[in-house]
Amino acid sequence: MIRDALAALRARRGRTLLAALGVLAASLVVGTSVTVGYSLATGFQRSAEQAQLPDVIARFDEQPRRRIDARVSALPNLEARSYRFEDLNEDLSAGLNSTGKGAVTTVFNGRRGYKVVEGRDIRDGSTGEVVVERGVAREWDLRVGDDLFVEEHGTLRISGIAVSPDNVAFPLASTARVYVTRAQHRRVAPNVALLWLSDPDKADVTLAQARSVTFGLGKLQFITRTGVEILLSQAAGIVISLLIAFSLVALLAAGTMLAASAHADVQRRLTGLGVQRALGFGPGRIAAQQAVESALVALPAALAGIAIGALLVARPAAELIAALNELGPGATLLGPLTLAAAAVVALVVAAATWPAWRAARRPPVEILRGGDLAKRPRRRTRASATALQPAARGPRTRGTSPSFGEAGSALRGSRAAGPHGVGAPTGRPTSSDSGPHGGGSLFGLGVRFATAARARWFAAVATIAVCAGVVTLMLALASLLERLREDPGTVGKRYQLAVQLDSSQLDAARALPGVADVGERYSIDAADSFRLGEPIRLVAYPGDHTRFENPPLAEGRRIANANEVEVGLGMADALGLRPGSTLAAQIPDGGEVRFKVAGIVRALENDGRIAWIQPDKLLETRPDLTPQVVVRLEPNTDPATVTRELVNLGASLQPVGAAQTDNAAFLAVLAAVLRGVGLAVGLVCLYALIQALTVTARERRGAVALLRATGADATTIGLVLAGVAVAVAVPAAIAGVVLELTVFGPLVSRLAASFASLPLGASAGEIALVIGGLLALSVLATAFVARRVMSEPIIAGLREE
Amino acid sequence: MTAPRAARRAFAATVLAALAFAACGDDSPPAAGGDSTLRSTLVDPDRDGFLDAGPAEPLTDRGTPSRLGETLVTFGQLTDTHVRDEESPARVPFLDRIGTPFTSTFRPQEAFSAQTLDAAIRALNAQRPDAVFLTGDITDNAQRNELELALATLEGGRVNPDSGGPGYRGVQQPDSADPFYYRPDFDAPAHPGALAQAQRAFTAEGLKAPLYPLVGNHDVLAQGEVQPTEQINAYATGDELITALDPELLDQLPRAEIDAQRATAALLGNQFFLPSVDVPADDTRRLVGSGEWERAFRRERFDYTVDLTDRVRAITVDTVNRDGTSRARINPDQLQRLDEQLDTDRHAIVFSHNPLTPEALQILDRHPNVVAAISGNSHRNRVTPRGRYWLVSTSSLADFPQQSRMFRLRETADGAALETWMVDHDGRGLAGISRELAFLDAQGGRPQRFAGERQDRNVRLFVNVS
Repeated sequence: MIRDALAALRARRGRTLLAALGVLAASLVVGTSVTVGYSLATGFQRSAEQAQLPDVIARFDEQPRRRIDARVSALPNLEARSYRFEDLNEDLSAGLNSTGKGAVTTVFNGRRGYKVVEGRDIRDGSTGEVVVERGVAREWDLRVGDDLFVEEHGTLRISGIAVSPDNVAFPLASTARVYVTRAQHRRVAPNVALLWLSDPDKADVTLAQARSVTFGLGKLQFITRTGVEILLSQAAGIVISLLIAFSLVALLAAGTMLAASAHADVQRRLTGLGVQRALGFGPGRIAAQQAVESALVALPAALAGIAIGALLVARPAAELIAALNELGPGATLLGPLTLAAAAVVALVVAAATWPAWRAARRPPVEILRGGDLAKRPRRRTRASATALQPAARGPRTRGTSPSFGEAGSALRGSRAAGPHGVGAPTGRPTSSDSGPHGGGSLFGLGVRFATAARARWFAAVATIAVCAGVVTLMLALASLLERLREDPGTVGKRYQLAVQLDSSQLDAARALPGVADVGERYSIDAADSFRLGEPIRLVAYPGDHTRFENPPLAEGRRIANANEVEVGLGMADALGLRPGSTLAAQIPDGGEVRFKVAGIVRALENDGRIAWIQPDKLLETRPDLTPQVVVRLEPNTDPATVTRELVNLGASLQPVGAAQTDNAAFLAVLAAVLRGVGLAVGLVCLYALIQALTVTARERRGAVALLRATGADATTIGLVLAGVAVAVAVPAAIAGVVLELTVFGPLVSRLAASFASLPLGASAGEIALVIGGLLALSVLATAFVARRVMSEPIIAGLREE
Repeated sequence: MTAPRAARRAFAATVLAALAFAACGDDSPPAAGGDSTLRSTLVDPDRDGFLDAGPAEPLTDRGTPSRLGETLVTFGQLTDTHVRDEESPARVPFLDRIGTPFTSTFRPQEAFSAQTLDAAIRALNAQRPDAVFLTGDITDNAQRNELELALATLEGGRVNPDSGGPGYRGVQQPDSADPFYYRPDFDAPAHPGALAQAQRAFTAEGLKAPLYPLVGNHDVLAQGEVQPTEQINAYATGDELITALDPELLDQLPRAEIDAQRATAALLGNQFFLPSVDVPADDTRRLVGSGEWERAFRRERFDYTVDLTDRVRAITVDTVNRDGTSRARINPDQLQRLDEQLDTDRHAIVFSHNPLTPEALQILDRHPNVVAAISGNSHRNRVTPRGRYWLVSTSSLADFPQQSRMFRLRETADGAALETWMVDHDGRGLAGISRELAFLDAQGGRPQRFAGERQDRNVRLFVNVS
């Protein structure tokens, strides 16, 4: 059967190549999506495992090691522990690079919590060596063996380069981390404890016990792996979630394209199947052969497409992962890629075999009369296509070529014919038909050609629509990321400026021209008191917080007093909170504050793990908290002008937190990833258009030859083909936009941030861009196919007639 | 200053100081049940903080083995049951957060003490002992209502563990915003409703074997350390429960010696205000008076002798210093009596709450018929040799491992062998939660290794007379 299949494929090399190109193009999308999606989705867990990231990190004021170890070692579910002394804001320099935000981490004996990816680790008891974080090494171009100046320790030799996914990498994180041994100090007490748990799922139990033995420890703060993951997500913005969600949608799209394409290919070959049936092959044999043929085409194409797709985005994906301080998937990526290849082949085989099997079960005569099209004649009986029906049509008189005008009339009559004209009775041109010389008629002819075979036209439109939907989604995504970076309003903030300002200057700030409102904003990162592994952020405003932050209310009502809280949907989902529930927040340093949940809001910041309160209770527990001063501007006020005035009042400007990083390098990498996926999707679009045109030209070979024989030049043929292209591209573009607005956008929003409403709908400009782009691709495809058609001898086409 | 406030401060001052050492008399482990550990044990092989069924722990021979003969007697030991009124204002749970030596002032599982005792009794009954010795610290805070609760549970029948008003009112209630207390309704591992259930009446099985009790320091002294006074009684029967402690007080708490005066000075000199909550007053919380335990168990004193068989004598020694402190005190009259009672041809076993003092042990040394001296107080399973005989201490029901101990005295070719094995309580209902929490407790019996080593648990102790 394989031999037969190979022979059949060889016999129609052109189509085989076209089909393979289709699979390859869709596999490109699959390869890029799987590479990006898998690398990012598994990045944190993979890195955490390899680097032995602790399950819990506890920070506190320096404590004698013996004293803190007595408490830590008594905790249940504890597998291992180690300690660190973390010294922040230290000077680091190497060559021309320097920073005053070095985090010099002294590691005690035991597990490190980082993975050395180059060189070797520092040795306990030895001095003069340092391990640097990979981000620092990359940014400063440091290598093992280089020297690094570390404040209080002098010049140290770099023994290794390490990755620890407990924070994003420098410079995405402002701190540059290095590790030294305890021997570097004369005496040092830990201020960080790293805990590894026997069962990380029971971290809450361990934390509850840890809390009970931490009385008197200053500045105590726990963070779990979950918390670290959320912090990283916060540092990188919502980009990663969006990318992963986008990859999933792209995968879905690629699957649809593959299925549609394979289905269309079989539809085109129904006549051949009919002949096989007529020769005595059973439906099972035909379906099996179809399966083998499609597998033989799909396998190499899928492997090549996926490999190329993976290579296309491998570098930017690796850069993205490095920026997140994570480790690449390495060889483990082969698993998902192989699975993806298998899935592509399976999908193609299924999509090709199923219609073949369905068709082959019908009587051979019926198949030969037009396959499944014969089942639905759709009032074709009156249509006239006699002169231009392709080969399978009935006999006609040789040597009597119709004139160009006759041909034109006949061509118009071909509207109702099937793809091969099989079974479509002849008819006469309608009296309303005009001559063929007008460009509009030729263009219309192309449209009729394209839509005559409804099933195939639909498949082509569907394929390109999915592509267009993905492209529209990408544009909407880029636009959203831009807004998330620059517009605090995207995350529900109504203030434009945040400053550190003495409270005595508040009235003066309010009086500044262009200032609509000024308020004090308190913010503290805490944990849920009952589930200590769940980090939350409390934001407090005296009075009505909606003057400054107005996240949309999803359920319940706004807070009315100091005992109430509005919680983000992300937090509500994580903690099972509903209006009327109690939120107990464990504040760093040991206090607990409780609030009654008044409402649930859709908030994007901090993954939705955020809550708005009035500050009274918070300040009872932490009277040392100092607020940020936030400023809401009048419409059309220049922020720079107000900023200058505020600085004159003694304010120091602070960043207004949005949900997306503005790190240029990170964004450049992100753009590269999106470009890679975009290129793959664009190629699929182009392929689908070329395929639609090629197939139509092939089917209308006789008609096209007739046109050429009656004097049609390349422009004329091009016009016909342009009609075909537009008949596919325009509805596909419209369907694609609708698909993005109704399916892809909401789906990505849901996948990336179920706790918020991400504005992922495409704008009018983006929609125009997509339609314009598709039309441009149509022109490209038309030119390509027209050139091929024109290069074919006219006689070859006429002979087919 | 109002009377309740004055009483509160006075009480707090006294107890704060005294309790600097409360844990000393208590800093040991828990107890048992369900089944003999000769058949199965409870272990945490995956070290996740939760117990699973483990393999049996057979007896290990200690001493010079000799051919075993007939069984002379079997008996059980329950000790340090610490049945408590966890809602009582006469408690200082807020000191627990300071850590050693205050770790016994609050336990996550403290609301389930009566149910845990009931589960231990059921397990011990299943071992069918000829007698059960209860070696002190039957209650936690020497309160009258604790005594009644313990008695009801030991005797069997309907038991009502609630005190004050109906339901729970204390530091573990769900609306408590003090994260240093485990709150069963929310904190991990959460057991919603357990606290409310713990206040409901239940039917106790009651000990089926004859009971031979001893009192411990927690049975006659406030928090096991301080002589009851009218001030303490006023506080105990009052309606104000101190719930938290100012961290600034930390450095001023005496930790090296029991010093009520110093504690008072530290407390009042600092002029701090301790947060409190109102609780329903309850007169039955007054501390027990002189002779109340004796009357409850219908004994004239807790130094007594029981001839279990014509070959075995049990002698109890009351080691409680009623003037205050958890340290043992055995006066000369008691020593003389002990010496006299040991002067017998029966095998002799001595029971006490605290381990015997050196003076008392010297008396035992002189009598070759002594098989073992068995005590409680340490909350720790331990078996150590002393000359020919053995010193045995047993874990409490208050802390992990919440085990009781069974004994079987057998004749041997060369003297006697005392076989002993631990018994886990059956863990039914709240007792199971109690054990789970006791095991998790970072200040409890698990980290302090109160379960002891293998040679401290299921062993066959040979005593060779020749």
